[in-house]
Amino acid sequence: MSFDWDAEEDDFFAGPSVRSRQAVDEDFPIPDDFADPVPGFGDPIGLIPQDTAEETNFQQLIRHWMNERHSPDILPGQEVLLGNLLDHIRKQTDDVQLLRADPGSSEDEHFRIMLVHTEIERVKFVIRSYIRTRLHKIEKYARHINSDPNMYERLSKAEFEHAKRYARLEETHYTSSVLQSLPIDQQGLDDNIAFMPPMIPAPSKTRAVFVHARQDCPRVKLLDGSMMEMKKDQISLVPYNVIEHLLARGEVELV
Amino acid sequence: MDSSTRQYGDLATQLVQESRRSTATDTLLKYNDVLVRSIIREQRQLESLIQETLSSQEGIDPASDPRTSTVMLYQTTILRNKRCLLAYHHHRKERLKDLYWSVGGALPLLLSTYASAPANNANMGSEANASSGDIRSKLSPHEVDFLRAYNDSLINFRSGVLTTEEVDLFAPITKPPKDLHVLVRVVRDCGVIQTEVGAIDFRRGQRFMVRRADVEHLIVQGYLEEV
Repeated sequence: MSFDWDAEEDDFFAGPSVRSRQAVDEDFPIPDDFADPVPGFGDPIGLIPQDTAEETNFQQLIRHWMNERHSPDILPGQEVLLGNLLDHIRKQTDDVQLLRADPGSSEDEHFRIMLVHTEIERVKFVIRSYIRTRLHKIEKYARHINSDPNMYERLSKAEFEHAKRYARLEETHYTSSVLQSLPIDQQGLDDNIAFMPPMIPAPSKTRAVFVHARQDCPRVKLLDGSMMEMKKDQISLVPYNVIEHLLARGEVELV
Repeated sequence: MDSSTRQYGDLATQLVQESRRSTATDTLLKYNDVLVRSIIREQRQLESLIQETLSSQEGIDPASDPRTSTVMLYQTTILRNKRCLLAYHHHRKERLKDLYWSVGGALPLLLSTYASAPANNANMGSEANASSGDIRSKLSPHEVDFLRAYNDSLINFRSGVLTTEEVDLFAPITKPPKDLHVLVRVVRDCGVIQTEVGAIDFRRGQRFMVRRADVEHLIVQGYLEEV
């Protein structure tokens, strides 16, 4: 049985915390141990090129997941990353099945298999949550996505298709429930009336977000015109649009 | 309400208050067809009032004509009523989507009106079941159509985004899994289910230690209960 256990078992629990603070969210009571990555999970067999070694796939996913959950806007989808992780999960699941079926494995090995298996389930949980978070925002802003070509490139094909279908669905629902019974002049779904909020909800980019600098960042201009410079590991509360470009470059993360 | 003391827009306010009540009590109220219809009637009536006023308004400077303000009043009411109507439907739609996700996307379960269920429901205690008791009768036909189409779209989406069956999109996302296995109590018969240790016939009252991933959907749908 050639499985690379020993290479990774030494640092199985020794991984540094992804973040030095806790992510606490009402909907997501994240247990203390959840932020700890299992370093071996990312790449025990060398599938992933070495240049990403400083941040494993799973750590990247955690970062993108938290960004997505905290950002008011829809961020670019991480399809490649998801694909890699799913491939990896599949492989690990197969290995686990194989090892479990092996009668020669000891008690100790069984314990390790169980740990790996649990970890797989937990990674799946994050993937699921990540997809669902995006899905929620996509549905919320489906009609906006349809009217703004800038949004297209941030979505995967499946997400974009769903956004189109959902927007149509929503319009059909309103039309058949209400609008078709109203006089012709009142049937619009995109009225633009002074002093009334727009009928197509768009992400609010001025919403305040907590942002953590992953490295020293260039100065950014705040809304009142003053400049702000963030050192590595500094945490600030700023409007989303101020740090939008830093987030896109991965220099900061939302917490 | 006596129509002589009623102002334009009162009905719409009632409708929106119903949405608020629904949020405050966290329940899905019955679709208020009567109220929606009467607001739509009010809209038509207002529209014809505007037409009437406008048709009699000829050759007078609009700025000094007192009827301009009359039209403005009608117009404002129309816009407000329309937004209230849409807000009501939007609010209901979001609630329905929440319900849909809370039972793990099991649309047939959500729409089935288990007539014999009330007795069972009482001792189930599961949140999903308490709220899904007889949902169908609270929906308008359009809302049923919406849920069906939404379900179709999601199934489409799932096959596009996850080419694998590894990750179940509909499983709950509130608590990360801590254990592989879970001890469950069967609260409703759900027949023979394939699990990693072979087929298990889940009968009411029995307890099993099973792999979480195998029965997750049954827990969500209220057939099993975690002990």
